[in-house]
Amino acid sequence: MNTSVPRDYYQLLEELQTIDFVLVELNLYLDTHPEDVHALQQYRAWSERRREVKARFESRFGPLQPDGAGGPGLTWDWNRSPWPWQV
Amino acid sequence: MFTQQKVYHPYVGPFDPCPPVRIKTYQTPPQLYLGFQPPGLPQFPPREALRRGTLWPALFSPYEGRRRDSAP
Repeated sequence: MNTSVPRDYYQLLEELQTIDFVLVELNLYLDTHPEDVHALQQYRAWSERRREVKARFESRFGPLQPDGAGGPGLTWDWNRSPWPWQV
Repeated sequence: MFTQQKVYHPYVGPFDPCPPVRIKTYQTPPQLYLGFQPPGLPQFPPREALRRGTLWPALFSPYEGRRRDSAP
């Protein structure tokens, strides 16, 4: 069955990608500036934000990773299409 | 116009086997001059940071590609 993907699938995925990028940048920055408390708070705020976006995404479109942390799904659906590269 | 792209002119000898490349370009991104990044630098908003490829405007380094006239 070829279900087209709703628009906000892309928006949520892009938001997740944006937050991931900020987290990576802050991660690299904190590696060399461990004592920078402001950056550390910012990192924690963004990782919390990422958890929310991931939860929103997974509640609607299924798990992002097969690590079982996806949630209440009763079916084994992490390998259900569409895959990220098909979207 | 300020640009991070610099040029140099290689020596062109009379017996060069191939057509000479008169202008060569190289990039001088800000991290060459920044040294240890000071804390508290201004940041891009997240979406723009993703577009620009860095969280800090001070470290942004656009790459316009090779100069047209630098082609051999």
